[in-house]
Amino acid sequence: MTSITFIQLPKFSEKITDQEHKVTLIFNNVLLISGEYMHIPDAFMPITQGAIYWIIALIFIGLALRWAKDEMSEDKIPLVAVLAAGVFAIQAFNLPVSMGTSGHLVGGALVAIVLGSPYAAVFVLTLVLIVQGVVFGDGGITTMGANIINMGVIGGFVGFYSYQGINRMIGNIYISSGIAAWLACLIPAIACAFEMTIAGTFPLVPGLVAMSTYHAIIGIIEAIITAVVVYLIHTSRPDLMTTDTKETVIS
Amino acid sequence: MIDNKTFIVVGLVLAIIIGVTAVFLASGDPDGLESAALYVQDEKTLTGLSPEDGDPEAVGTGTFEYEAPLPDYSMGEEGGQTGEIIALIVGIVLMFLLGYGISKGITSIKS
Repeated sequence: MTSITFIQLPKFSEKITDQEHKVTLIFNNVLLISGEYMHIPDAFMPITQGAIYWIIALIFIGLALRWAKDEMSEDKIPLVAVLAAGVFAIQAFNLPVSMGTSGHLVGGALVAIVLGSPYAAVFVLTLVLIVQGVVFGDGGITTMGANIINMGVIGGFVGFYSYQGINRMIGNIYISSGIAAWLACLIPAIACAFEMTIAGTFPLVPGLVAMSTYHAIIGIIEAIITAVVVYLIHTSRPDLMTTDTKETVIS
Repeated sequence: MIDNKTFIVVGLVLAIIIGVTAVFLASGDPDGLESAALYVQDEKTLTGLSPEDGDPEAVGTGTFEYEAPLPDYSMGEEGGQTGEIIALIVGIVLMFLLGYGISKGITSIKS
């Protein structure tokens, strides 16, 4: 199934169909055949572009490691490990979101909110993406930097800071988590649409329209699950959570 | 309040339940990125259904290729659903061990 045949493609868009794969599409040097991918695969991006994202990603991975060294206390280890396993599991679950589309959760906002730092999301999402790419072929190797930037860095930062801001305004950690998770699903998707345009894989406007439409809906599920998990962790182990915005949280 | 051991056990069991359920219940429809890829290639309308077996896999020219040991969260075609369940459990346990090991390693450096 994944024994991919390398096909030399013409420069212009063309569609071919063979017996094995019902859907075989070519667009701008990219051929799509049936399979199962969730993150940007290698074929969606030229190697040089992937390398640039890798360099940026490595800077954030370095910062995330420094966060882990300086901020992560020993008592957080069980939470980090369970979140890594949990994020992997929820990313494997594609939920139907109508419009012939499914969505899987990202979990970046969740990790950042629960562990109290956007770098926590970079840390956990990087681990998850390495295992998914290297062991399960989900997401490319050359595009892993882009996936780390989108879901870990952008997802983590958007999730964390919007959570903090919204929580300061409304003072409800569950609603704040939900809204932050929705934004942390949508904004990385928009970033991804731009990356795909630079790569020549998506045309700009249709790519933006499609990516934001689908992820605005996927984000609703992301919001609900994030709020529920924040509730579960906050109820079972409030000590493990860094929910505060430097104010006391009523628990 | 539950202790660390219970927290880990409950968390891992929940993760495995989600992972195993995914094998049976997860949607076969392409995800957001894939759907967008189909949409920009006029293979689906924005809100319409996706083509049957429309989960795209991509092959490009001048891009890198890599063969994963457990491709597509499965043990290959012959592994079937059992293979998918094993692959997901392997992944979840591996994630936990990596998360635990690396965190433990980093926190022990500073002391």
